[in-house]
Amino acid sequence: MATLRVEHLNKTFPAIERGSDATTAIDDLSFEIGGHVFVSVVGPSGCGKSTLLNIVSGIETATHGSVSVSEDGSPARLGYVFQEPRLLPWRTVMQNMLYVLEGEDVPDRARDYLRMVGLDDAGGKFPAQLSGGMQQRVGIARAFAVEPDLLLMDEPFSHLDAITARSLREQLQGIWTEAKKTVLFVTHDIAEAVQLSNRVLILAPGGRLFADLPIELPYPRKASDTEVAMAQAELLRRFEEMQEETDAARATDVAS
Amino acid sequence: MSQATTVAPASPIAGVGRLLRSPLTARIASYLFLLVAWQLLSLYEDRFPPPADVFGFLWIEVTGGSHGGIVRGEFLEHFAATLPRFTLGIAISMVLGIVSGVVIGGSKIAEALLKDTLLMLVALPAIIWAFLTQMWLGLGDTAVVITTFLSAFPFVAVNVVQGIQAVPRDLRRMSGAFHVSSYRRVRHLLLPAVTGYLFAGFRFAVIIGWNAVLLGEWFSSSEGVGYQARYWYDANRYKGFVAWVILFIGFIVLIDRVALVPLQRRAFRWRDTQVKQAQRRVEGIDVAVTGA
Ligand SMILES: Nc1ncnc2c1ncn2[C@@H]1O[C@H](COP(=O)(O)OP(=O)(O)OP(=O)(O)O)[C@@H](O)[C@H]1O
Ligand SMILES: [Mg+2]
Repeated sequence: MATLRVEHLNKTFPAIERGSDATTAIDDLSFEIGGHVFVSVVGPSGCGKSTLLNIVSGIETATHGSVSVSEDGSPARLGYVFQEPRLLPWRTVMQNMLYVLEGEDVPDRARDYLRMVGLDDAGGKFPAQLSGGMQQRVGIARAFAVEPDLLLMDEPFSHLDAITARSLREQLQGIWTEAKKTVLFVTHDIAEAVQLSNRVLILAPGGRLFADLPIELPYPRKASDTEVAMAQAELLRRFEEMQEETDAARATDVAS
Repeated sequence: MSQATTVAPASPIAGVGRLLRSPLTARIASYLFLLVAWQLLSLYEDRFPPPADVFGFLWIEVTGGSHGGIVRGEFLEHFAATLPRFTLGIAISMVLGIVSGVVIGGSKIAEALLKDTLLMLVALPAIIWAFLTQMWLGLGDTAVVITTFLSAFPFVAVNVVQGIQAVPRDLRRMSGAFHVSSYRRVRHLLLPAVTGYLFAGFRFAVIIGWNAVLLGEWFSSSEGVGYQARYWYDANRYKGFVAWVILFIGFIVLIDRVALVPLQRRAFRWRDTQVKQAQRRVEGIDVAVTGA
């Protein structure tokens, strides 16, 4: 488990061509998460969710502000499940797992986590021989196999069919409860956020933090639970509020 | 529906039909066509020797028989002179092509400095190098090797540059997020991504380099395949000239088929499975459609 501290984070992408505007992907974002929590970030497409995870993981740098991830004072280990599988196409599933793993018993660990996502037999196959859903599951196994203190997940189920996504969501709750990890989970699916997380951050377009809501329900949760449905309705209401606000802001922008 | 699927039963006629439409048949047909065209051409043009003459000459040349008088077939001697020059020229092209490709592909500054020069080198025909090296170095192995190297090298470099720039950004970022060591990144990400381009570069180098070695020997050597072609040309023995040109082309086609293509296939196993997968999917749809 790790502590993630985000302070006054700003990310502006410079204009690509002359005449176009720079894009502010994240605007003065601050929050802190730590311990055995599952935090979801929800927001409409383009509001800076992937950018946030990229900065946290270090593959993108912040324009202003700071991000720190620590585990009892020492740097934390990160795992990242991307929006797409991002596997090396010329390496087998097993080789893809070993690519990111260091230390002892590495093949055993890789096998364990492949079994966790139901792909015990796929180790010798190339990514192209797997379905999209199976590839994504390899991506999930890979991120878990590094046994991270902080696990970043970027809409990991959004490309999957509803049935696979549902079963993986249930599995994920089990793994998270057992493996005691800090998870930062990005989605634009409110139902998913409510079912999985004990805290939800709503981002508004332009990368502002709009709301920070706790969801205090016991695990495991099913999408069909009444409490979950009620929490969903509540979250949806806040989401609509956010949208009305941004629409209004845009209207005054246009008027002035 | 009760109607049978349209999958053809294995009748002999269908088998023949499939054979006729196979790529092998098409390839054989293309050779036959060339031969027939050649034969026809030689009927109308005296200075164009008919295939039979040329292949007769070839046979003598390859078996070391006599062309009448003291001139004997010297196939092995001349290939033995040419191959080391060719191999050395290609080896130097590969080493320097990879090094300069990595430098240009990896650095914006190096790219700005050198990429246009490289493109000019690609556009420069081998015969220019053959002339220049003959002027600078006179007769001898060095001129031939340098002609080969200078002609082949830019193709290797250009392909390596492209390969390096084509390493998928998503995969680079994935490697960054997981703190994968540079050794692993080179071995499992960079090299496989570049392999395809490197192969393309190598194949080009072999083909272009083989042309260049011929030209180099034409101008700067007194032995070798290129010299031999020139010898018969200067002697006005056109069937000898054509025979050596055929040896020359035959060699490169053989190398391509026997060595380069299989090697390439092996290196791209991962991609072939993808193709096969796609084919199977298409076939699956076919069956589903015809079976419906
Ligand atoms: N490399 C980049 N260069 C320029 N602009 C970028 C870059 N990456 C992202 N952006 C911009 O930053 C904003 C946020 O992008 P980001 O990918 O973080 O959105 P997102 O919330 O993940 O969206 P989605 O839900 O569709 O994945 C967008 O307006 C996008 O156009
Ligand atoms: Mg995104």
